[in-house]
Amino acid sequence: MKKVHVHAEQRIGRRRFLAWLGGLGAAGATFPVLPREGRPRELSLREADFYRPHELAG
Amino acid sequence: MTAVACELCPRRCVIPEGGAGDCRIRVNLGGKLRATTYGRPSAIHIDPMEKKPLFHFHPGTSVFSIATAGCNLHCLNCQNWQLSQRGGEEMEQIYRADPPEVVKAAKEQGCKSLAYTYSDPVVFYEYVYDTSAIARRAGLNNTYHTAGYINPKPLRRLCKLLDASNTDLKAFDDGFYRRVTGATLQPVLDALVTLREEGVWLEVTNLLIPTLNDDLAMIRRMATWMRDELGADTPLHLSRFQPQYRMRNLPPTPVEALDRARREALDAGLRYVYIGNVPGHEANSTYCPTDGTLLIRRVGFMVVENKLTADGRCPTCNQTIPGVWK
Repeated sequence: MKKVHVHAEQRIGRRRFLAWLGGLGAAGATFPVLPREGRPRELSLREADFYRPHELAG
Repeated sequence: MTAVACELCPRRCVIPEGGAGDCRIRVNLGGKLRATTYGRPSAIHIDPMEKKPLFHFHPGTSVFSIATAGCNLHCLNCQNWQLSQRGGEEMEQIYRADPPEVVKAAKEQGCKSLAYTYSDPVVFYEYVYDTSAIARRAGLNNTYHTAGYINPKPLRRLCKLLDASNTDLKAFDDGFYRRVTGATLQPVLDALVTLREEGVWLEVTNLLIPTLNDDLAMIRRMATWMRDELGADTPLHLSRFQPQYRMRNLPPTPVEALDRARREALDAGLRYVYIGNVPGHEANSTYCPTDGTLLIRRVGFMVVENKLTADGRCPTCNQTIPGVWK
């Protein structure tokens, strides 16, 4: 009986771990993809670096 | 379903509801024409005025330069295709910058001028117009770098707010325009004449592409037309081609070809002919057409020395040099 109790606790821990891992994976996959496939990233003018070197002509 | 006709450029797109024009950014929303990039530039930089290039307009000053996505030309050799050949929603980032904010930022950065540039500001016309109106009230100059593919009526309206323009004349050949840019020549010539008539300080850029538009007879015709229609004092920038975008099969323009084209344009009667995209070339600099005195020495986009008098004259012979110097 004692052995079964221990085994049940282990299974709960594994499920939580897998759920956490799945969530982490989904978040990691979503963050870099969403801004490119969805709308462009919107920045305020204060976030612009006006003096950043660039290669645009004109 | 109400279609709208865009009268801004010679394409005169008829746009169905929910659709976009050829430029990708002028759309029909509920039967009304809207520019999706109004107040949403994707490029903002502070550049030297010489980079536009404007060589006879406030030399050595900084210019607050903005552009949104989109263009009404589709040049195979486009240098800024990541910006111009996309719609606003395809950009990785955009800035929230309504006209008053742009002018405020330019002033805070100590810029005397704004530039609408990089892509073609024709397509974000309303944004240019509103920003220019506020900039002028704030005492800033408005400069415009364009391919000049715009209808006369909107251009004349905008000219009231413009101080200077560098306009591309990509070739003096309609076939080149159709094949390489997807546009036509005559509206560009009309736009150049309009800019001159409206008193906007005008400089012209011609990018010389090996085998496509570097024929000396064509250069001669172009320079002669400029002399007769725009005036011999209109600066011409002959610029070096580099393989880009969908035109990687051609080599960079040989410097000798640029030199030959410059001599041809000078022989045709133009007084100020520069060579661009060749840093350190002697034709980056301004010379007095009367006695040859070196007036403004430039290395690339940098003004190294400016000997013009305060009222824009040659210090040696007192010849007036046309331009907007202060």
